[in-house]
Order: sequence, then structure tokens, then C-alpha cells
Amino acid sequence: MSVEMIAILASWGIATLRSATPLIFATLGETLVQRVGIINLGTEGEMLLGACVGFAVGVATGNPWLGLMAGALAGAVLSLLHAGLVLGAGANQIGSGLAVWMIALGATSYFGRALVGQQVTPLPSLGSDWSDGIPLVGTILSQMTMAAPMALAAVVFAAWWLNQTRPGLHWKAVGESALIAAENGIRPIRVRVTAIMVGGLLAGLGGAILSVDYTQTWAQEMTKGRGLVAVGLVIVARWKPALVLPVCLLFGLTEVATLRLQSAGFELSPHLLGTAPYLVVLLVLVGSHVVARRASAMPADLKAVFQ
Amino acid sequence: MSPRILGAASPFILTIFVFLFLAVALFIGLGQPPFQTLAVLVQFAVGDSYSLSQTMAKTTPILLCALAAAVPGRLGLISVGAEGQLHAGAIAGTALVLLAPVWPAPVLIPLMLIFAAIGGAIYGYIPGLLRARLDVNETIVTLLMNYVTVLLVAALVFGPWRDPASQGWPATMQFPPNAVLPALPGSRIHLGLLLGLVAALALHIYFNHSRWADKVRILAGNRKVGETFGLSFGFWVMVLMSVGGALAGLAGISEVSAIQGRLQQSISLGYGLTGFLVSWLSRHQPLIILPVSLCVGGLVAGSDALQMFAKVPAASAVILQGLLFAAALAVPGLLARWRKAQ
Amino acid sequence: MPESLVQFAGVTRRFGDLIAVNNASLDIRAGEVLAILGENGAGKSTLMKMLYGLYPASEGQILLDGAPAKISGPADAMRNGIGMVFQHFSLLPALSVRDNLLLSWPKTPFWKSHRNARTDDVLTSLAELAPQIDPERIVSSLSVGEQQLVELCKVLNINARLVILDEPTSVLTPAEATRLHGFIKQLAGRGVAVALITHKLADVEACADRIVVMRRGSVVDIAERGARSMAETVALMMGQSVDRTLRPPPAFGRTVPRLVLENVSAQRPDMSLQGISLSIAAGEIVGVAGVAGNGQALLAEAVAGVEPLTAGDILLDGVSIARHTPFEAVSTPLGYIPEQPRDNGVVATMSLARNLALRDLAQGKRATGRHANLLERFNVNPPDPAKLAGTLSGGNVQKLVIARELGIQRDAILACYPTMGLDLAAIEMVYAAMFAQAASGAAVLWISEDLDDLLAGSHRIAVMREGRLVALLDNDGTLSREAVGALMTGMTETEAAA
Repeated sequence: MSVEMIAILASWGIATLRSATPLIFATLGETLVQRVGIINLGTEGEMLLGACVGFAVGVATGNPWLGLMAGALAGAVLSLLHAGLVLGAGANQIGSGLAVWMIALGATSYFGRALVGQQVTPLPSLGSDWSDGIPLVGTILSQMTMAAPMALAAVVFAAWWLNQTRPGLHWKAVGESALIAAENGIRPIRVRVTAIMVGGLLAGLGGAILSVDYTQTWAQEMTKGRGLVAVGLVIVARWKPALVLPVCLLFGLTEVATLRLQSAGFELSPHLLGTAPYLVVLLVLVGSHVVARRASAMPADLKAVFQ
Repeated sequence: MSPRILGAASPFILTIFVFLFLAVALFIGLGQPPFQTLAVLVQFAVGDSYSLSQTMAKTTPILLCALAAAVPGRLGLISVGAEGQLHAGAIAGTALVLLAPVWPAPVLIPLMLIFAAIGGAIYGYIPGLLRARLDVNETIVTLLMNYVTVLLVAALVFGPWRDPASQGWPATMQFPPNAVLPALPGSRIHLGLLLGLVAALALHIYFNHSRWADKVRILAGNRKVGETFGLSFGFWVMVLMSVGGALAGLAGISEVSAIQGRLQQSISLGYGLTGFLVSWLSRHQPLIILPVSLCVGGLVAGSDALQMFAKVPAASAVILQGLLFAAALAVPGLLARWRKAQ
Repeated sequence: MPESLVQFAGVTRRFGDLIAVNNASLDIRAGEVLAILGENGAGKSTLMKMLYGLYPASEGQILLDGAPAKISGPADAMRNGIGMVFQHFSLLPALSVRDNLLLSWPKTPFWKSHRNARTDDVLTSLAELAPQIDPERIVSSLSVGEQQLVELCKVLNINARLVILDEPTSVLTPAEATRLHGFIKQLAGRGVAVALITHKLADVEACADRIVVMRRGSVVDIAERGARSMAETVALMMGQSVDRTLRPPPAFGRTVPRLVLENVSAQRPDMSLQGISLSIAAGEIVGVAGVAGNGQALLAEAVAGVEPLTAGDILLDGVSIARHTPFEAVSTPLGYIPEQPRDNGVVATMSLARNLALRDLAQGKRATGRHANLLERFNVNPPDPAKLAGTLSGGNVQKLVIARELGIQRDAILACYPTMGLDLAAIEMVYAAMFAQAASGAAVLWISEDLDDLLAGSHRIAVMREGRLVALLDNDGTLSREAVGALMTGMTETEAAA
């Protein structure tokens, strides 16, 4: 394989990873939430709020790390509304998620107007004088920030948490049956609130990475359904944290491909190309249902939500 | 409020109170004088004939989109696809007008409506088919499909359908008068509202008083029992999703034809999601959807005007809708819990 | 007299207007097997669940070691050395045996990987009690008997001083039940108190030291083993002396096949039916015996036209009544009593009258009032046609479904566990109605867990195992429950006895 080929592949790979990073966080968060038997469509709203608050704090402080932290925190706080409605008031989970989304949509368009056109200090690149000397590795590192490695680490950690630790076992048990978990001495409400907040935290972080690191701008409704895509991809990933990575990279690859086709002067409407990521997600969603006719990997308590 | 009144209050009344409380809190949070802003909002919604006409204009798509969510909702489906179906209907109806702009109104307008309804119905049928045959969750599919038709409209008005005479503005040509839905003179109250009213009444009769009403009710109450007695869940999923889509499609073409006068981006101010909210608040009951969509239509129209005259961004209307939704979700459960504790 | 471990002092529990347990007083002592005997709904489970912390007592007090028990949930109960094995197991079918054991083990370390030596101890009781079970197996792949052993291991793992068993033998074959009885005596021998909730006299005879009899929420008798005759005990339990023998249905003379299953095959993710063929004549009653979870539920839904067949056909008087593709809808002409009728037999959001008329409504016909007298005939309480089906108790939902399905003469009947959750009078009524249908020419396919009833009431017995029909026996009076039980588990009779 020629050197140019490798360079092109590496550049596509990095672009895909960067594009997928916000989605990896959101999908991972939603996976954990669904593993305890809750569906949260508010992920879209939590991402959006995370993007808005993260960008605002990043702009105000000049520190992108503070922005990411603030975004994550905002997502976690907003997720408490979902937890309160669903667990406190026994509201329908789908309805509650949509309410959370609506509130975040309105709030970010309201307060986000001031952020349009602002500049944010981006995360530093991983490249250094030392690494620049190494061919390929140097280029790769200089195109990357800490966001993508963090996402990979989060996936590994979540998989370890669910499969190897006692609290992770409790989470899985609650998702399979809150009733039986309670009979075994676990407090399901506490587990579910925690998981919803972790999900909100990850979605908010994903949103903040989207605005602070990936696009480095703020625009109204800038998540464009990524949070909803995350909910769909959880099903494709069969509720397994480890599978979150490949399915999100597929989405990232589609997005990168459409962007590069456009800049390569490909004669197709950018709007038409823009439908590709959604169509790809819908296709893999349908495909995963064809492959596994009944969703047997679904946590049993979730089945009640889906009827 | 004394506990006795609280105990007797219906969840509905209490929801309104909680919502008003949240709205006041919101306006205080936004730095607006709360009661004054609310009063202005009401005035802009129903204060004079112009405001009323604006409210009716906003009510029309909300009503149709609410019915679009309510029809599958009767079977227990959660379809949030009205936004995408609305755009699909707008595309299909506009396609006919662009193909045959010179046809006389008595032919063109009914055909345009039928095209739009079919466009929306197909867009509702797809998630229905996926749910019926493969058990793919209809909520997620409809939500994702929404983004596709919105982008399709953009692709069309930036591309093949752009009117050269519009000087770069991405829109189709102005609809000729024979393709514009008839309206009450001097107002924005058009045929779409009548369609919505008729649809609501027809659905009410169908779902409550017809001989077939119980088929859907049995399946919604217990799918397995319905299937034991020969009812096909999949068939009804596809039928109801398509009918819902058709209604949202009508909302799309009536916005294009009667309000905007041409197909362009942002023909919908999030009517799909708002309609879903209205349907949910009304428990998918067509006769309750009528007044509720009027109220929410007034809220949207009022905050539109608020943006123009009081410089309060229209996004506050979306927050208010979200709060209304949250209040409606929280109150019945909390009330039941409170009563149980008594 | 030995020390009391647990004492109930005038304990009452209400659910709304219903008094589930009424002023119950009794004690449980270390090292004894205390049988708590009573019919369905007598309050046995509720009483023990209060001790386990699932419901607080409305009135009265529960004493543990002589002091008021502070048990606000199962976690507290386990901490106090009280373990409970539920009638429906508290195992998570999607998780492995090991994970299920770790779940309730108080000593589970944070890092619960099998590479962590500190998790090894969780498997010791499994190795002792059921060495044949691989701890990495997923629980849903275990037989019901094996699942119960895992459940017992969970309780042993918490070093329980008191083990509560809720109807443990209702899901077991006779051989498995015998093994369990032995194990219970062994536990008591080690000084553990065992509270055995049951409605089966066989359990009491096999291992009880003392017998508490409950009826309608009240403790009506507490006696040492051998102090009462079985007839006396039954009389106390039923509140009257009842003859429990089933009147066998009249012999059928006709041999015209009426309901015919030809190579019926169906598929679900966790179960498949493989080529079941069976021909039932007019007036014949065929009982289906099998351990729960061996394909009976799938067979019932396939015959009722709910589950599509992958192969084969089902004929009623020569006409196919099966569902062949998932996309066609078949209205079953059978009188069909599904299992768990609350989930599978009624529309909870519709009135009793409409639930009786479901067949008409589903075909787009108006409901008529002609069904109303069925509510009284089948003792549905309350017999108010306007009441919503969801407000009825479990037993009354069952009677509602039976009223709809057996209230008019049918060509064929498919009954799954038709007497489950019913009191004795209702059981008699159900069997009478079912046998009357057979006497008038209906072909009856009757799925039951109760071998004694099947042996008493059916002409032939079909035995199911792992989705297949493994035997079809003429019930000519020579069949023994042990022989049928052996076929259910796939053991030979001598193996089963060992």
C-alpha cells in the first residue's frame, strides 16, 4: 500500500472518529440508561443544552475544558427532570423525554441567540514538537484532540462497569426487572436516578464536544437529531457498550463522506446528501431488526415501555 | 389551596394552575414582568379580529398534526412523525401545482389536497409497515424520518424547484390564484381549518360511535386478545399510521398554499411536535383536541406577536409548550400519589 | 419448648377494602419445618411477605428474637438471616447463574469478575446442592427444577436462619418434589427454621413438623404433626368437608375426529414446537401433562390461532383454523381459556359486558345484552356488566373468561390451566362446565399442571417435553402419577424413584 493511500485512510479515519465522538458519548449514555430499563428521548435536549452551555462557558472563560465540564453538568441537571417525571410522577417515558427535548429546544434557541457568531478557544491538539517529527503519527496526532481518546476510554470503562463490577450487575438487574431486583435487596429507584444522571452527563458532554471541539460554533438546533439517532443506535448496538463504538463510527463515516463529497465538487445538493446519515441509521436499525427478529437482547423492563 | 379543594380538583384544572405557575416563574427568570407579559400574550392571541385570525391560522396546522398523532395514538402507537409527514404532503401537493399550474381551481385544489394527503400517508405508511412487519419502534423511526423530508424540501427549493424569478431566495414560484385554498375574506382563516374540523368530527364518530370502533379499542387494550378474535394488529398499525400521515400532509399543503403562497423552507414552526403535545394533552380524543389546539394555537400566535412588539423571542413559546407538556405529565401522577398518601 | 425465632402477634394486612391477613398470631421456631397450609387467597403468602419486608403490617407486630422486627425491605430481611424463595422465582432469566447468585450475596466484592478469588465462595452451596449446573449458564436455559435449586442456593448463601418457601412444589415433577422434601428436612436438621407455604397435603405429609392452617386471612388452626387426621386438616382448610374427587366425564361413544392437529410446528426465540400430531374425537377429553415451560403455552397459542405455524395444520371438523403467516388474522372458533387470563384473555379497559361480547365486537357487530346472565351463572363477582374488567380480582377475571368461553356450546375447547387461582367451589363449577361441553360433543384439549386432576378427568393424556409430544397414553385407570411424571422429565420410572 502506498504512503499516500495510508495517509488518505488515516485522514478519513480521524475525521470519522472526530465526527462520531459526540455521538459516542450520547449513545453510550443512552445505552446505560436503557440498561436500567428507562428510555430517554430527552437525550436530544440534553445534548443541545450541553452544546449551548458548554459553548457559552467556553467563550466566557476562554477555557474549553471548563466548557466541557459545564456542558456535561447541564446535561445531568436536565436529565433530573426526566428522572423526576418518570420515577417521581410515573409519567410516560416517551412523553417525558419529548417534554425535556422541547424545553431544551426552546431554552437554547432563546439564550443561544447571543452565542451565534462567537469564537471559542478549541481544545489543544495532541500534536507536539516531539511527535511532529514522526511521519504519519505526527500528522494523525496533530489532527486530534483529547475528545476522541476520552470517548474510547468511556466505552471501555462502561463495558467494564456493566460486566465486571457489582454496581454494574445491579444496573443490569434493575433493567431486567425492577421488581426482582428489589426482592434481591437492590433499590431500583436509586439505581435508575443514578443511571439517568450519568446518561444526561454523557449526553451533555457529547453536546459540548460537538460545539466546543468539533464545529467550534454555536447554531440553533445544531445537534440536528443526534440525540434521537443515539436512541436508535442503542438498539442497533444490542444494548452493549462495546458495540456503541462501531455503530457510531458508521454514522461518523457517513457524515464525513457526505462532507468530503461536497467539497470534492460532487454534483449533488448538499441538502440531499445531508439526508444520508439519517437514512443510514434508519437502514441499520431496520437491518438489525431483520437479523434479530425479536429484540431478545432488550432489557426485559424496557419491553414494557415499548409495549 | 386547602387540601379539600386539592383533593377534589380534577387533574386538568390542576395542570393549568401548575402550568401558569411555571409560566410566571419562566417570565420572571427571563426578566420580563410576568403578569403583564401574560396579559399581552392573551391580548395578542384573542384581543381583536386580526389576532383571532392569526390564532386560527396557527390553529389549523396544529389541529391537523394533533389528529395525525391521535389516530395512531388510539392504537397505543406513539407517532411523532407529523413534522415529516407535513413536509411530505407539502412536497406532493406542490409537485402537482408545478406540473399543472393552469388547471382550474375546482379541479386543481381537490387534486392538490389529495396528492398532499397521499404524500403524507405514504410517509406515515413506511414506519407503520416497519412496525407491523419487523416490530421496529415507530417513535424512533418517525422522529428520524422527520429530518429527511425537511432536508428534501430544502434540496428542492434550492435546486430544481427554485423559481428563477425569486432572485436567489430559495422558494418555488408563487402559487397561482387557482391553487390557493379559499379563505374567509380579509383573514387567514382558510379551508384547511374546515378540513381539520370535519376530520375531528369524523374521527370522533368513527372511534366512539361506529360499529368498527371496538376493533381498535380491543387491539389497543390487549393486542393478544384482539389477535385471538381475528383482528390483525399489523393491518391496523398500517391503516392508522397512513391515515395520520394523510392528515399531517393536508396540514403541509394548506400551509404552503394558503399561508406562504409557495413552497419554501420553514413552512412549519415545529407544528408536528406541537400537534403531538396537543394530542397527548387531549388523550387522543378528537373532540378535546379541538379546544386544546385552539388554546395552543393562540399561545403560538401570541408569542409570535410578542416577538415583534415586545422583543420577547418566539422561542419562549417553545419553552412554554415544553413546560405545559411537563406539567401535564407530572400532575396526574403526583395527584394520584398524593391521594394515595392521604 | 424451643425458642421462638419469629412471632406474629395479631398481625393484620389490608389492601384497600380487602383484608388479606386478619389478626394472625403464630410463631416459627429454629430447626422446625412449619407448614402454612391454605387455599389460594387464604393469606399465606401475604403473611410471609410481611415478614420479608415486602408489605408493612396494617396492625399488629412481628417479633424477631423477641424484639420488634425492623424490616423495611428484603435487604433488611436478608441481613437478619431471613431468606425467601418465591413462587415466581426472583431470578433474572437473562443473567447467568453466577451473576444471579452474586446479586443477592452480601459479600460480593466491587470487582466481581470470576478472576477475583474473593467471588469463589458464592459457588460453594451450588457445588454442594447442584454440582451438575454450570454457573456460567444463562438462567433461562435451566429447567424449572434447576432454577429452584439456584434459588435455594441464593438463600443458603446468606446463611439464612429462616427459609421461607412459597408453594415450592407447584412447579416440580413428583420426583423433584420428593428430592426437595428431603432437602427441607436436611435444612431443619441443621437448625434452620423452614416456613413452607403450600396448598398441597402431600408436602405437609412429607416433611412438616407443625401445621398452621389459614382460611380467608385468618389462622384457624395450629397443630403438631400427627395431632390431626388429614381429613380434619382438609376440613379446616376448606371450611367445610368437601369431597375432592372429580366426577369423571361420561365415556364417549363416537370416534369421529373433531379437532385434529397435523404435524403442528411453531417457533419462538426460546421454544419450538416440533411436529405435534393429535386427533381428538367429539366428546373426548385429552389432557396435556408436562413440566411448566416445555412448550404448552406455545402449543395453546398455536391451536388458538394466535401463533403462526411454521408447518402443519389444525383442523376443526375438517376446516383449517390455524394461522399460517404472521400477517393473516384468524378468529378462533374454539372455546379458548388462555393461561394468565388477565394478560391474555380480557381487555382490562373495557366493561364486563363488552368483554363477554368480544367475538362480536371484533367482527364489527354491536354488543348485545344477551350475555349478562353469564356473570351470575359463573359467579363473577361483582356481577355488574358495566364494571371494567381491570377492576376484577384474578379469580374473577378467570371466571369471566370461562363464562365467555364455556357459556355457550362449542365444537371444541382449549383450556389452559383453567382452574388456576380459583377456590374449590369455582374449580368444581369449571370442571362441571367443561365436562358438560364434552358430554354434548365438544372435543376438549386440556392443559394442566395438576397431574391428579388430569388423571381423574381425562380420557387420554398427552405428555409434552421440550416442545414435543413424547407420549400419548390411554387413561384406563392403570396410569400412575409417577409413570406420567417420569415421562415428563425424560427419566425412566426407576430413575425417577431413585
